[in-house]
Amino acid sequence: MPPRPWRTRLDVGLTLMGARASAGVVAGFFLAAAVVGLTSWSLPGAWESTIVPGLLAFFPLWIGVICAAMRFNTGRQAWTWLGALALSGLGLLWLLQAAGWVR
Amino acid sequence: MKLKPATLRTFTSVHSWMGLIAGFALFVAFYAGAITVFHHALQQWATPSDHAAPATLDDAQHLLDEVLARHPEARNHVGMTFPGYELPQPTAYWQDRHGTWLFATPGQLAGSPTPPGASLPELVNALHYTLGIPVAGTWLMGIVSLLYGIALVSGVVIHLPRMAKDLFALRPGRNRKRFWQDAHNVIGVLSLPFHIVFAVTGALLCLLLVLMLALNPLIYEGKLMGASAAAMDTAPVVQAAGSAEPLSSLANWHARSIAVAHGQGIANFTPGYLKLAHAGDAHAVVEITGTSPRGLGAGAVALDAGSGALLATQLPGSRDANHATLAAVYALHFGDYGNAAVQWLYCLLGLGGAALFYFGNLLWIESRRKRGGAAQRPGAMLMARATVGICLGVCVAVSAAFVAAQVLPALGWDAAAGERWVCFGTWLACVLWTAWRPPLRAAQELLWLAAIVTALIPLAHGLATGGWIGRSVAAGHGALAAVDISALVMAIGFAALARATSRRRRHVATNSVWA
Repeated sequence: MPPRPWRTRLDVGLTLMGARASAGVVAGFFLAAAVVGLTSWSLPGAWESTIVPGLLAFFPLWIGVICAAMRFNTGRQAWTWLGALALSGLGLLWLLQAAGWVR
Repeated sequence: MKLKPATLRTFTSVHSWMGLIAGFALFVAFYAGAITVFHHALQQWATPSDHAAPATLDDAQHLLDEVLARHPEARNHVGMTFPGYELPQPTAYWQDRHGTWLFATPGQLAGSPTPPGASLPELVNALHYTLGIPVAGTWLMGIVSLLYGIALVSGVVIHLPRMAKDLFALRPGRNRKRFWQDAHNVIGVLSLPFHIVFAVTGALLCLLLVLMLALNPLIYEGKLMGASAAAMDTAPVVQAAGSAEPLSSLANWHARSIAVAHGQGIANFTPGYLKLAHAGDAHAVVEITGTSPRGLGAGAVALDAGSGALLATQLPGSRDANHATLAAVYALHFGDYGNAAVQWLYCLLGLGGAALFYFGNLLWIESRRKRGGAAQRPGAMLMARATVGICLGVCVAVSAAFVAAQVLPALGWDAAAGERWVCFGTWLACVLWTAWRPPLRAAQELLWLAAIVTALIPLAHGLATGGWIGRSVAAGHGALAAVDISALVMAIGFAALARATSRRRRHVATNSVWA
């Protein structure tokens, strides 16, 4: 990409941060959901018995993923990693649920 | 711990941006929250004629019978507080056909959409959890709680390399920015557990329903809504049988719930409120929620409302994970466990949190202040004005609402509407005043104004109801005296801050944002 001198350093910094932050907020939401779902469904006992702890744990998990996303070097890396983790997590959960291996 | 300089820079700007976006809302939430901890005392303070003895269970039985007889909708679901829970009188509440909540008391059996009791505690509470914005305010504060969590994590990461060394450093002297930074850091680190609790429980309380709707199809196979009642209520969900059966008495339910709790090792269970479903049906169920001095959070006992047979319990020590978590979230957020010492601790930590956000903004402005003759950046100027106008303005506005709560009823005006006008009008006036004055001057003026208005609170109380501090103490009304004395202490605090700001004005360069 050719340098674009009309953009200030602040703009570039914000764009970079924005890409990583959006990965944390959007992909991170699904990743945190997958972690809560996998934990809640695979713990011993029915999934119903951990609804409220799961909903509560969701928020610190999501916040943690958003902050962790800021440690990636680029927004593309953040989106790739978090997106792949979220999709595979949710995919695994849906597979386990459909097969009836967790409850 | 060593961090890459690039990481440190990223987290510093994340922390600043979160502060800029959420700091004002957090200041208001913490200032109003610190006051709303004492909503019971406020309720007494703002209800002049209500020092009578609490109503009895017989009065409550009469209320329940009348409400069920007069309002068929209440037979499906009705809630009722026991005498002395929030108010000395019991209150019954139910939804009419349109879904509107109606409230009835022994003195007002027809039902009214206005909850009984003084409106001041509800106004302060609304400022705390919605900033006074209807409907969307709750979601806004939920998002603010999330941003607050991100600010906490990034703040700790920035401060981590020097945390142990600088923990007790508070360096006064020539470098004012260093002093503010130290104050911000020490308050932040020492009250970190409290702040984590509030970021997480605040987000859950505001966004619970939205989160449930979002996660339901994702991870719960669309079965969450059906399962949530069993996870959060105590009484089993039953359908009406369609055959009539008379209800047992309120006194019987009251005594049964205490006996059941006692049987599970809980002494001094105090029933607070009940929920009654399918009144008059053979499947009528009553759920009695109450507290015990040594339990964290409320517990509940569900009974067959006709026979009084025990159906289910969720009491401290034997709750399942869902109910224990929910009770802990409520208790930790509202600070209603333990005794008055816990509430004072919550109040002080809340005021400390407000100071944390105020100092945070000062730091952001100071680090961008241009020295010498240069003009200030518009962004820094705007932040300086907004910080002074919004943060100090809400302090003036809340105190003005307190004064209005005493003065307006004495003049025969509607307290509920009047308090809102006074509160939000004063706040707006303070913001406009700051937009017009140099920020440091406006800060000094608003702090003096806050000191004067807050000092008027005990005066207004005394003039309007004769509830002077000395007389309240002599009559044994500790809560009333405590509100007035706290107002005086706050007034002295505002005056001290105003004096400190004047000193700063004399010493600071005339071209600063603050001058």
